[in-house]
Amino acid sequence: MSNGLIDGDDDLLRRIARGDEMAFLTFYRRHQGPVYRFALQMSGRSEIAEEVTQDVFMVVMRSPKQYDSRRGSVAAYLYGVARNFVLRRLEQDRPYLAALDDPDSGHAQLAATGHDPLSDLTRNERVESLRRAVLALPTAYREVVVLCDLHEMDYADAAAALQCAIGTVRSRLHRARALLAEKMRAEERCAV
Amino acid sequence: MNHAESKVVEGLQALAADSPRQAPAHVEARLLGEFRSRSRARLRNRWLVFSGGAIAAGIVMFVSLRPAPAPTELHKAPVSQSAPAELAVAPGDDTATGEVAENFYRLPDADILPPLDSAVIVRVQLPLSSLAAMGVPVDEDRASESVQADLLLGQDGLARGVRFID
Repeated sequence: MSNGLIDGDDDLLRRIARGDEMAFLTFYRRHQGPVYRFALQMSGRSEIAEEVTQDVFMVVMRSPKQYDSRRGSVAAYLYGVARNFVLRRLEQDRPYLAALDDPDSGHAQLAATGHDPLSDLTRNERVESLRRAVLALPTAYREVVVLCDLHEMDYADAAAALQCAIGTVRSRLHRARALLAEKMRAEERCAV
Repeated sequence: MNHAESKVVEGLQALAADSPRQAPAHVEARLLGEFRSRSRARLRNRWLVFSGGAIAAGIVMFVSLRPAPAPTELHKAPVSQSAPAELAVAPGDDTATGEVAENFYRLPDADILPPLDSAVIVRVQLPLSSLAAMGVPVDEDRASESVQADLLLGQDGLARGVRFID
């Protein structure tokens, strides 16, 4: 996602408020990719990602003036809205997530695939294994990894999207990476 | 960043590159459909507000030019909310004062409009000053307040008559 002022997102939002279809389409096409990816990487399920993407842009359609440029970039705003929808959906699907959030079940799931994920892994296997490890992270850690590592968002924007302090983003990211490293090591041990 | 963490970050970069870049096309199609239907609704509402305002302005102009009816009659006139619109505009129902049945006052342009097949009654707010223009005594302190009025709209959306609700 790009900076609002440089690329005219503010102007697009004003035109959307007036019912300009082209402005909405431009805005959607510019931002839908990151929103969809964020929802997919957070939930691991394409149907949730589709729903969340739709919900986020329905908010833009209904209340284009809700975005306040003084509170952060358009990207941070959209990630923030997407995050709320994702968390709501994850809350509804808690039984499914409980299994994912449980480190032991995450390892069990990884080990149960029957693949040898670490010794001479192909790139795809490694990526797939890491994807599952990210999904197995507790939500608070998963969202900082998704925003800062997968979406390369800076700490300030991530803090705006997550409505927390920059220091919190830093510490959670550090902890999340440590958890992932631990999971990878555990996989290594399982594979041996 | 230690070695293990570096490896994780490297793996995450590969994962980022591997992720889908776009939402499926049907998401865009659904949103576009929703946007269009909202735009149509907004246009309809805007037209209603605009035509209501134009009609109200027309009424104010009309009542300021025509001879004022007896103010007491206007105020004491019973309001029949459930009166069918057809009754209100029965052909040949003109009276000497230009008032149609059920206390609707015929608008001057109504005579040149097509006959009514069907009608609807729309309630709008009019400034109290428009009553003063009709000769109704109005407290000057309340001149900026508004009153409710029913507009009788034909099948073409154009106003035929008006009645005031006290």
